[in-house]
Amino acid sequence: MEKTSNLIDKAHSRRVFLAGAGTAAAAGLIAGCGGKSSSPATTTTSPTTSYTDADILNFALNLEYLEAQFYLYAATGKGLEATDTAAPSGYSGSYTQGTVTVGNATQVAGLSSAQQEIINEIAYEEQEHVRFLRSALGSAAVPMPSIDLSFFGPLAIAAGILTSSQPAFNPFATFDAFLVGSFIFEDVGVTAYAGAAPLISAAGVSAGYLTAAAGIMGVEAYHAAYVRTAITAGAIAAGSATAFPYITYANQVAALRATLTVGASAAPGTTGSVETALTLPASMTSASSIVAASPTTAVGFSRTVDQVLHIVYGSPTVGVAKGGFFPSGTNSIFATTTA
Amino acid sequence: MANLETEILDDVIARSRRKMLALGGAALAGLVLGSPKVAEAASYSDSDILNFALNLEFLEANFYYLCAFGCTIDKPNAQAISAGAPSAGIPITGSVGTAGTVSGGAKVSFSTIQAASYANETAIEEGKHVLFLQSALGSSAVAQPAINLGSSWQTLGQAALGSAGTGFSPYVNDDTFLIGAYVFEDVGVTAYHGAAALLTSSSNLTAAAGILAVEAYHAGLIRTTINAVDSTGSLGLISDTNSISSLRATLAGQVAPSPASAYDTAPDDFGLATFSVALAGASSVMASRIVDADATNVIAFSRTTSQVLNIVTGGASYNASTKALTSPATGVFFPSGLNAGPNGFK
Repeated sequence: MEKTSNLIDKAHSRRVFLAGAGTAAAAGLIAGCGGKSSSPATTTTSPTTSYTDADILNFALNLEYLEAQFYLYAATGKGLEATDTAAPSGYSGSYTQGTVTVGNATQVAGLSSAQQEIINEIAYEEQEHVRFLRSALGSAAVPMPSIDLSFFGPLAIAAGILTSSQPAFNPFATFDAFLVGSFIFEDVGVTAYAGAAPLISAAGVSAGYLTAAAGIMGVEAYHAAYVRTAITAGAIAAGSATAFPYITYANQVAALRATLTVGASAAPGTTGSVETALTLPASMTSASSIVAASPTTAVGFSRTVDQVLHIVYGSPTVGVAKGGFFPSGTNSIFATTTA
Repeated sequence: MANLETEILDDVIARSRRKMLALGGAALAGLVLGSPKVAEAASYSDSDILNFALNLEFLEANFYYLCAFGCTIDKPNAQAISAGAPSAGIPITGSVGTAGTVSGGAKVSFSTIQAASYANETAIEEGKHVLFLQSALGSSAVAQPAINLGSSWQTLGQAALGSAGTGFSPYVNDDTFLIGAYVFEDVGVTAYHGAAALLTSSSNLTAAAGILAVEAYHAGLIRTTINAVDSTGSLGLISDTNSISSLRATLAGQVAPSPASAYDTAPDDFGLATFSVALAGASSVMASRIVDADATNVIAFSRTTSQVLNIVTGGASYNASTKALTSPATGVFFPSGLNAGPNGFK
């Protein structure tokens, strides 16, 4: 019951969710929603101007730790092995290994064998991404930061899926709820790698890092397509969004992500946005909306590191260094929002 | 270790003006790539690479337009126009080469909104890729090559499925459409992946990465749908994907997985057969294979332009005894080969 009350406290209001590290962050979005906003007073940090290829890969590693924990819990009820989360041998950096706030994370109940195989696949693939990046980084790999898997509840409230008076949204409750939980991550993963790829140095390109990043981006896009197709197919089969509300939930998540994408926060599907909402095809001449891409060119989107941070911290505010899925911040040179 | 794969790749290196980029030796220690691929040094221009991609997009766009709308991309089609296509159709002329014709193809008689809406979406998106690349290339853009979307399917069907595939047409129903689409999409991913590191312009790289992502979305869409439609394997579609992936791997000079469920051999393509994985907390469980990626690092596959060419021309241009690709490569989908400038890929 203690966990439940903590969740409810956390989920108490949109304000708390958006606060991330502090109330100033909440003021940012609420003012933004009102149409007029001035930058709230927060700790300001100079934008990171100098980074190495290792910094970029380590930022990606932080995201992979998060995804792997989510999918592994959904698949098996357990997270990454200790050997996959500790600082590597010879690590001389300053980041420390965090813990996972499990919340109600558990193996998703009531799965068909086909559904279990899907979750097993994605869990395996994200687990291997963690291992690949740690191997690529060697002794420079950062240990896992603290991860909060109970953040889905507050996030769902912020997205408008549920109100704070309802039981917290639980992506581990059913397969359909799991799909919505997955939806939160996958399109973001694609845009994060797409944004990171051009940052890799010429030496890094020669060393194969660009190819590796592009290949992982491809895998994230396969995952995103799975989730978007499964939700769309569910809605088509049910006949309406009323009968299958998960498509609405996913679109509420997409709208929230758009809001949090500082600098490109237009509504999904509109000019300047990096989000594409799902559609429910109504006839044989309708088009689905599985791909998240520019409506003009059908080229996929990218996000800056800063925009990704805003999403995983659940805050649109500059100067925020932790919150959301990363309650102690990322173990990365990219830990504080800069715009 | 010289095997077929390395011999073909060595040949590719020797025959091109490319130099192999050194792997490793950079600031980071111990990057473990599944198996070192040929890295093609950037002695081709970005335009050559984008034009190679444009040839492939002409192929894909025409296939999906035919399936969804029953016409080729250059024809005005009300449904396509309402979704944003140019009112006069998509241009197929260019400054290099003569616009070729498209043979074969027909509108699919879809029976479900699901398959129809996927075809509609994909057609529009591939058409936009043609337009985008034409715009990016400007006066350097090649014309549409001659494309065979009719008898090529029977040739491929026989190669992939044996006698059962000799009459294959993707235009019959939902299931045949899905299998036809399956033939293209994972290849698009590997082609853009292989091209990404060759591009010199940052904006071109960003665009290529963005299109790579879209091709992977399409591939994921098709694989997810086949996996769901034939969840027990009784329709034979899962088996078809394994056969097609094996054929592609073979045409790319790689080793086909044997058995199809083997995950630790080293092909560059996997069908939808389930496989066993070890997870934290569960030592051996069965998993689907929506993602077409290598076993160990789960990084999407990458192919060189020569490997892609050999797949889309059906291997007719690969001489097994000399282990060389004839140039220009022709056959199957591209009966007259690709359109390319004097230094381009063909």
